[in-house]
Order: sequence, then structure tokens, then C-alpha cells
Amino acid sequence: MKRRHFLTATVVGGTAVTLGGPVFLRRAYAQNPIKIGLPTVLSGGNAQYGIQAKRACELFAKDNKGKGILGRPVEFIYEDTAADPATAVRKAQKLVEKDGVKFLTGTVLSSEALAVSAKCPEWKVLLMSTINGAGALTAKSYNRYFFRINTSGPMGARAVSLYLAESSMKRFFALGSDYAWGRDSVQSFTAQITAAKKEVVAKDYPPVGTKDFASYIGKIKQSKADGVYLVLPGQDATIFLKQAHQFGVTREIKPIMEIVELENMKAVGDAMEGTIGSSRYPFTVDTPKNKAFVKRFHEMHNVYPDMFDGETYEGLEWLAQVITKAGSDDVEKVIEAWEDSKYDGLEGPFFMRKCDHQAVQPGFAVQAVKDPKYPHLIPKILATYPGDKVTPKCRTEEFA
Amino acid sequence: MSVANVVEQLLNALALAGLLFLVSAGLSLVFGILRVVNFAHGVFYMLGAYFGVTSVAVTGWFWPSLLLVPPVVGVVGAMLEASTLRFIYRRPPIYQLLLTFGLALILEESVRVVYGPTALGVEPPALLQGAVEIAGTFYPRYRLFLVVLGLAVGAVVWLLLTKTRTGLVIRAVAQNSEMADCLGADVTRVRTLVFGAACALAGLGGVAAAPMTTAYLGMGISVIVDAFVVVVIGGLGSIPGSMAGSLIVGAAQTWGAFYLPETAMVIMYAVMGAILIFRPWGLFGEEE
Amino acid sequence: MRGRWLGALALVALAVAPWALARHQLSLLTDLLIFGLFALSLDLIMGYTGMVSFGHAAYFGLGAYGSALVLIHFEQPIPVALLAGALLAGVIAVPVGWFSTRAREIYFAMLTLAFAQLLYTVAYKWRDLTGGSDGIAGVPKTTLYWGGPSVAGPHAFYAVVAVSVVLSLIVCRALVASPFGRALQAIRENERRFISLGRDPRVFKLTVFVIAATFAGLAGALFAPFRGFASPEVMFWVLSGQGLMMVITGGIGTLVGPIIGAMVFILIQEILSSYTEHWMIFTGAIFVLMVIFLPGGLVGTARRLATRA
Repeated sequence: MKRRHFLTATVVGGTAVTLGGPVFLRRAYAQNPIKIGLPTVLSGGNAQYGIQAKRACELFAKDNKGKGILGRPVEFIYEDTAADPATAVRKAQKLVEKDGVKFLTGTVLSSEALAVSAKCPEWKVLLMSTINGAGALTAKSYNRYFFRINTSGPMGARAVSLYLAESSMKRFFALGSDYAWGRDSVQSFTAQITAAKKEVVAKDYPPVGTKDFASYIGKIKQSKADGVYLVLPGQDATIFLKQAHQFGVTREIKPIMEIVELENMKAVGDAMEGTIGSSRYPFTVDTPKNKAFVKRFHEMHNVYPDMFDGETYEGLEWLAQVITKAGSDDVEKVIEAWEDSKYDGLEGPFFMRKCDHQAVQPGFAVQAVKDPKYPHLIPKILATYPGDKVTPKCRTEEFA
Repeated sequence: MSVANVVEQLLNALALAGLLFLVSAGLSLVFGILRVVNFAHGVFYMLGAYFGVTSVAVTGWFWPSLLLVPPVVGVVGAMLEASTLRFIYRRPPIYQLLLTFGLALILEESVRVVYGPTALGVEPPALLQGAVEIAGTFYPRYRLFLVVLGLAVGAVVWLLLTKTRTGLVIRAVAQNSEMADCLGADVTRVRTLVFGAACALAGLGGVAAAPMTTAYLGMGISVIVDAFVVVVIGGLGSIPGSMAGSLIVGAAQTWGAFYLPETAMVIMYAVMGAILIFRPWGLFGEEE
Repeated sequence: MRGRWLGALALVALAVAPWALARHQLSLLTDLLIFGLFALSLDLIMGYTGMVSFGHAAYFGLGAYGSALVLIHFEQPIPVALLAGALLAGVIAVPVGWFSTRAREIYFAMLTLAFAQLLYTVAYKWRDLTGGSDGIAGVPKTTLYWGGPSVAGPHAFYAVVAVSVVLSLIVCRALVASPFGRALQAIRENERRFISLGRDPRVFKLTVFVIAATFAGLAGALFAPFRGFASPEVMFWVLSGQGLMMVITGGIGTLVGPIIGAMVFILIQEILSSYTEHWMIFTGAIFVLMVIFLPGGLVGTARRLATRA
């Protein structure tokens, strides 16, 4: 009895679905979300970067509530890679194969991005970098499924070099973390400083996660340079600056950072005052769009946006813009729509080059300064350079 | 190469050795007496650093924190020993290692839940801020303090173990726990006590390290591997061995980074391998 | 008897998996099998000689680099890459094993750790060959033989992995049942007695160390083309530690157990990490409980229950 009852129900139900099919399906499509996957770092020492990416996504979701993209809701799916490239590939693969994600972002380490990017042509999904600095990603290791919204390492090095070209400093020590980003940027910095008729007197590559910089500080002291160029990720930079301050070396040898992060300013405190460097996104940029963004961000998260909060938000907004322009979330169409497209970013105009998928954007030289309006040091903008001055020649890490 | 430079590198090695000693002494003690390779030991070092940050933030003083935090970390350690490790002493050592691996994961992530992912800085106490001139070079006072602290703690632990009655009981348990049990020593209590004391030492190391390295996630994991190397070089269970091992590792790391930067990471392991090939039980260890 | 039925059932399950599973599930299963092979190889030393290696990841990593380099630079068929990876691991294991087997127990563990970290730093620093800390990305899945069909598809590569793992398990089982395997177990039970019979335990220890490293190398050699990637992380001590956990989870000295242990270990993390950022707390708690309450691991405990019933 029961079984027959069940069968009847199935037949009736099935018929109803079949008959009402087209309408039913169309509605399902309208509700079908656009999924963005973030294989990002949510545990361990680099988690602060994953958290920045996540905060940006949360604000983007709030800002676009009800609107969505192409009228479809946006869904973010986060996976923890624990800062390991092999795990990053596995999590990305899961996002693609299981969750049906077509757009990936939020990769934290350049080594993770290099590993995931190499797989994208096979998966036919788009990887949008908003954090990764290694020049190789848009040069030697370029593929058409990779887009970089953020300022790259060489671009940061370029902005700093342009600023230093006008300063009285002449001799520099370069200290870069021993991985793609650190090595790339030091090379780039050396080339440009030499071109500006100045000198990099010595360089060194401490391994990622170095906790005692005493030996390196000894060498920096010995070099009698005017400045030390630092390409160190968040935590390493914090520890270095603390120790350099204790050795009293920062008084004679000015620290110059490839990226000046709020995270560093909070952890190092006043000892960082006066430090100069480049910023990929200084939240102090004086544009109406940025001011509104900072306000909304602070309301939601109760902190000021750091570099990757801003860059990730811009990436998402731009991605939404090109999906709308393509009229579809088909990856190939989105790639075509994105190439040679323009976007009005938080800190100024952005342009996506077709030849290497590097976003051309303004570059900044900043200085960590005290301001009574804020609970920590803030990046004060010393100089702004237009995009074409700080972006390398296509698919290279060299500048015209 | 100037004299100033040599002096500075020597002091760097000593300061690092001081910190390493605070961590490795406890690790060695726990192995010598409990026969446990405690993988979670580094996490107690991290706990010390974070508790130190809290304590300095709340009280505003560094010195009381230096005295207050280690016992707190010790109590946490003792409680964990009594609630987990105590039940599996009869098993092969690999089980204890894995259990502490699990504990390390729990503690590491718990710290992140409470303190968040950002590194937290602490200023050294006013007395130890700035640098002093030694042999023509400016050297941070705080690092000199680390050298002294390492030496002082080493002396105290050594005196405790060799000259007091408690030390006698502890050594008896280490030599033969069943015999010590028969002779009226409360072996279970001694184990918990030693485990707690070792964690307190690691906690002290953490508080002392925070002004130099900041308190950050992963500091426990990164220090534990160095501490293993120290203990294996010096000989498991030997306090003078930990001292010697700390000096060797401190020197290998700082001088390696200074003189041979491209091979610095290899040097420490090469030294350890070389020592173990000729003395598989370590410099001060006893052949089993 | 029951074991044989279960074995046959598992084989059938592996054979129908490509048709029964969705694509991402098949990828996950491929992953589980690769790490299962890694844990199996570790059990060969741990379970049958009682020596705990804390540096087993080094051989997994050597295998991964060996196969990645062969695939990237010479575009040889997959079997050639697998052979290259396994051989590289086995060859390097000879000197390491020669020194390490002089020591015992915890000192053996620490010596293997020291050598593994040494190999890790070499991979980290030798940028020209290994790409340093950035690793080697874009390792291709090539063909089955020269001019043969491609194994790039998920089904084909799954088949390569499944066959490799099943064959390895068969070889390892034969090995521990052979006179050589019985000699190993005699050493584990009573090394002094073994020596008093006029035999040299070190030769046996060294041989099994090299064999285990070779199988770990095979696992690594499968891993590199599967992920398209090799980096120093796959040689790091963290993976060695995870290997030990896989073996204990599954059941030490059971060969099949560690494969199951590896699967459970990865699945637990996979599932927990999709629910909470703080999955490490729960993973840690599960291990603590497992070590205390299930000393025989999953398979060991199941067997004990089966014999009792």
C-alpha cells in the first residue's frame, strides 16, 4: 500500500515538474548565484591577509545586497589553504569541481598564486589576484586565465625608486624574503636604483619566517648605507622593524618598505614613525569614492581598511562590472570583456592591459606618521605617480 | 672584519642561546624524567609570550609579568598532563608524541581565537630600552638581559636538581620510576610537577622573547624544531647538555646567517647530523 | 576469511569509483590514495621494525621533485616519471639510512628528522633546479607510454594512481610475509636475541628503510603531476608528523590500516575546515581522544572487536 502510494506521488509530482518545466527552470536560473571562491589563508601566521580578503567580500556582499550581479545573487565560498601551495591547489580544485566556482580570488602567497594559476587553463576558471606581488605572474608565468588587479612587487619598487631618485639618499641595502615576491622586488629595485645613478651596496635574502634578524642587522650596520629597502611579508617585517629599532640602526639607516601596511604600524607602534615606502592602497587617498568606502568599511568592521581590504574590494567591483558588460558569467566572455577595459577605482583610474592582464593604476610613495584622529600610525601620501609611469613593459619586469 | 663586529656577532649568538636554553631545558627535563617527547612544548612558549602581552597591557609593568606569567603557564601545562598524558605512560613513546601533537594543535588555534591573527608587540621595560656601547658598537640592552637570564636560570635549575631533596627525588624517578615508587616517592605527582615546571620555563622564555620577536602565531612551532635540535645535540635529559646545545645552535644560526647566508639554514642540521653520527646519544647524554 | 572478502569488496569499490563518483569526489579519492600510499610506506618501517622515522616526508618530496623535473624538462611518459621519482628517493635513502640505523629509538627519529630537514633546505635553496620556495608549477600529466594515450583526464589519472597503490600494497604484503619480513619482526620483538643468533640487524633495517623510502617516493611521484606542483613544503617535517598520525589512526603494523588512516585523517580535515576556520582545535581534540582510547588505531581496534565477537 505504502509503496503504491509513493509511486503515485512520484508520477504525479514528476508530471507536474515536466509540465511546469520551462517556467520552473527559468526561475531557478534567476536564483542561481554567481559563485566566487577564495582559496585563502585563514589559519596560522598569514591569516591576517585572508581575513582582509574576507572583510572586503563581506562589505561587497552588503553593498550589493538585493542587486547582485546580472540580477543574480553573489555567493562567496572560503577555503583555508594554511599558506601551503599544494593545499591551495587542492582547495581551489575542490571549489572548481565541487562548488562549480568559475572565479577564484584571495590567494595570499605568491607561491600559492603561481601554483593555482598554472592549473587555471586546465580548469577553465579565472584567477583574480588582489594580493600577489610576484612579477612573474604577469610575465614569465603569464596565462590568459590570470588577472592581477593589485599593484605588483616591481610596480611598488618602481614607485619607491622614483621617489628616492629625488632624495639625498645614495647607497642602499636590499633585504628581501627568500621567495618569489622578495627576490623579484629586490631585483627590480636594484635595476631602477642603478638606473637613477645610485647604488645597492649589498643584498640578502632571509628565509620566510625568520625570527631573529640580528645577523642581518649587523650586516646592514656594517654597510653604512643611507637606507635599507625591505621586502618582507607582514609578520617578518614587524619583527625586523622592532629589532632594528632596538639596535638603534634605524636612526642612521632609514627603513624603506616595499609595502607599508597598517598591520605593521599597529604591531610596531611609534618605533615605525617616519618609515617610508610604497603602498598598493593607502586608505588615506583623498578621493570621494575612497572616502565613502573607508566610512562604510569602518562602520561594518570597526577598523580602517588595510592594503588588501581595498585592493580586494576593487577587484570584486571591477569583476562585477565586466561580468555585467559581458552579459554572462561565461569565463571566456568575461576574459574578453575585461581585456582593455577601464574601471574607476578607489584611488584613481584603472586600466586592464590585454597583453599581460596587469591592471595599470596609480602608484604611491607614503610615510608612516602620527595623527591624533587615528588610534595608530597612518600612511601619509608623499607622492602619487600615474599608472603609465609605474607599470612595467608588457610581460616583463622592466620599465621604459 | 672589525673587532666590534666579532663582539656583536658573539653577543647575538649568546642572546639567542639564552632564549633557546629556556625552551630546551624544559623539553630535555620532560624527556629525561617522563620519557616523553613533548611536541606541545613550543606552544607553552607561545602561551608565555601572549600571556605576557596581556599582563603588560593590564598591569603596565614588565617585571611582575616576568614573575607572574610562568607559574600560570605551568599550571596550564600541569593540568593538561594530568588530564591526558598521565593515562598513556606505559605505551611506546610515539603515542605520547602524537598526543602532544594534538595538544599543540588545540592550543595554537585557541590562542588565535582569543588574540586574533595579528602579531602583538611589547616594549621592553624602561631599564632595558635602548643600546649600550660595547667594544665600539651599540648593542641593545634587552639582548644582554637575555644572556644573563639564560645563565641565571641554568644555574638555578642545575642547583635545584643536584643540591636539594626535591631534586634528588626527581632524579630518582628519572633513573628508575618503579624503584622510586617502592621507596615512597609519589611518582605520579613528581611527573605532573616536572611537566608543569618545564612548561613554566618555556613560558618564561616566551615572556622574555616577546619584546624581541613580538608574540605571534606559529612562534611555538618554529621554536620547537630548534629546541629539538638543541636537546638532541646536548643529549636528552641533560641540563648542561641543553646549555651546550643552545650555544651551538645559537652560534650556527647567527654566524651562519652572517658569514654564509646562502647555506645558513643547512648549517644547524649539518652540525646536528655530524654530532649524532659520532655520538648518537648527544654530547652530554648517556648511552642506552 | 572475512578479511579477504573485505579486500575484494574494496577492490570492486575502487574499480567502480570512476562511474559512481562525481568529479570532485574522484579527485579527492585520488588524493586520499596517494597519501594512503605514503602512510603505507611509513608503516613498513614503523610497524615491522619498530623504528619511528620522523623524516619520511623527505622521500615523498624527493619523489615529487624527481617526477616533476622529468615531466617538465623531458616530457616523458608517466611510468618513467614514477620510476625516476621512486629511484631518486631510494638512492638518497641509502646514505641516510646507513647513518640513521646506527642510532636507536628517539635518536633514530631525530637523525631521520635532521637529514630530512637538510634535504628540505637543499630544495629550498637550490633555486635553479627546484625553483626554491616557489616550487615547480605546471607539472603536466603526460601519456601512459611513448606515443600512447594521455592520462590527463581525471579518470585516466585516477586509474594510474589506483593501480600503483594496489600493486604497492600487494608487494608490501608479500614482503612482510616473506622470510625477510619475518626477520624484521624478530628484530622488533627482540633485537638482542637476533644478534645472538649471529645475524646483523643493521642490514635488514637499512634495506627496509630504503624500500620504504622508495614507496614514499612513488607516492610523491604520483602527487606532483596530480597537483601539477612540487614545492619544499612537501618535504617539511609537518608532513612527516602527519604521516605518523595517519599510521596511528589507521593501526600500526597492519599495512591496510595506514591507508585507511590517511583517508580518515584527510577527510576529517576536509569536512571540519568547510564548517569552521578553527578546525585545528577539533582535529587536535580528535587525535588526543584517538591516541588515548583507540591505541590499536581503527583497523587494529576493528580486528580486536571482530575476534572478540
